[in-house]
Amino acid sequence: MKQHRLLVPSKGTDFSHLQPGDKVLLSGVIHTARDQAHQRLVELISRNESLPFDLANTALFYCGPSPTPPGKVCGAIGPTTSSRMDPYTVPLLEQGLKIMIGKGERSADVETAIKKYGALYLVCCGGTSALLAQTVISFDLFAWPELGAEAIYRLEVKDLPCYVAIR
Amino acid sequence: MAKKTIQANEIRELVLDAIGEIFCTAHPETRQLLENALAREKDEIARDMLETILGNHEIAQRESLPLCQDTGLLVVFAELGNGVLIEGGSLRDIIGSAAAEAWDKYYLRDSIAWDPLRRGTNQKGTTLPLILHLEQIPGDELILHFALKGGGSENCSFLKMMLPGAGMRGVEEFVIQSVVESGGRPCPPVMVGVGIGGNFEECAILAKKALMLPSEQKDEELREMEERILDEINKRGKGVMGFAGSTTALKVCILAKPCHIASLPVAVNIDCHAHRVTSRRINVSRETSDDSGATR
Repeated sequence: MKQHRLLVPSKGTDFSHLQPGDKVLLSGVIHTARDQAHQRLVELISRNESLPFDLANTALFYCGPSPTPPGKVCGAIGPTTSSRMDPYTVPLLEQGLKIMIGKGERSADVETAIKKYGALYLVCCGGTSALLAQTVISFDLFAWPELGAEAIYRLEVKDLPCYVAIR
Repeated sequence: MAKKTIQANEIRELVLDAIGEIFCTAHPETRQLLENALAREKDEIARDMLETILGNHEIAQRESLPLCQDTGLLVVFAELGNGVLIEGGSLRDIIGSAAAEAWDKYYLRDSIAWDPLRRGTNQKGTTLPLILHLEQIPGDELILHFALKGGGSENCSFLKMMLPGAGMRGVEEFVIQSVVESGGRPCPPVMVGVGIGGNFEECAILAKKALMLPSEQKDEELREMEERILDEINKRGKGVMGFAGSTTALKVCILAKPCHIASLPVAVNIDCHAHRVTSRRINVSRETSDDSGATR
């Protein structure tokens, strides 16, 4: 099993050295987005409105964190099922999204689009959320607080352990 | 003879204690099954993931952080003795308000869509909507079986009204395919609950019970069926997280009940490896005991 370090933002980065099954330790600024946030992002795109962040400069982490206990950087964080985001993913790839982190398989359409746009789908080990939380350096509510766990959170991570699933 | 009473506060304390245990503590049997799987597993990536899962157990416990950020819906099977009277509210309200308190106390994630169709507003209630199954039993006890059930694994649930002629082999194939085709979505390695018989809703409840309740004594043929299904899932499955290796399921548990001569209902309910279940009991002599050691 090959292991790589990957920094986000990765604008213009070539992922061709990464092979499915390789381990990736990801560092940098990423944003969470689940079903509701995806729906809103795609609505903004369809209305030609600007997005709350530049998709090319981040990674989308399919994650709804648990609340932050006092004295901790964040609560538990970990991947949710990626296939629920499939219906929204192609428009986001068209807007420059390069890295997605989740769990489970993707649809054939999304797999094709990931390859076409030179993007990267990483799988993170589900149900390891206390361990994953230890990689978070900073954690902030970023957009749409009314969505609760489904809001967008901005995370700075150091060596978040992931595995290359599709590139 | 007058019924003996259990006060709402006793139940409240027991709910807080049970949830406080399972959100951050790996079930001893699950941990053992994961360790056994790691000892057998040859794939390097799968081994790396299994080690991560075991490492998470230690960090969750030490940091009092949830094993998984999806702290789930609360599912409770309650067995209420016919000699017991609960004072201070309905069982649903008592458990629901205690659960809401536990959610705040332990910083668990609010995963409730209050309106399943019109989402997007973050509501909060003073009681937690819970899935409660209440059954009366003879005697002077209240037994509560708890699960924090995640959404990703629950989405991988299957129910089929099979033809009676499908028989044991047909049922096995349905269960195996259900788990294998779920791929990485329910966070394998998984626990598999199977309900056979009853009717449409009872076989689903049986499947959930099979996941949550301490194992019952069962006949040899059903026990062998569980082993065959488990072996076959691990032969055909895609491994840890649907990604690598030969560890797709850790355990299969079947419960069967009589059904109509025209029917063969079968339900499959999957739980992830976090498998947050425990049981508690109160008897009228006011002794509360932790049943978790006997829980599967």
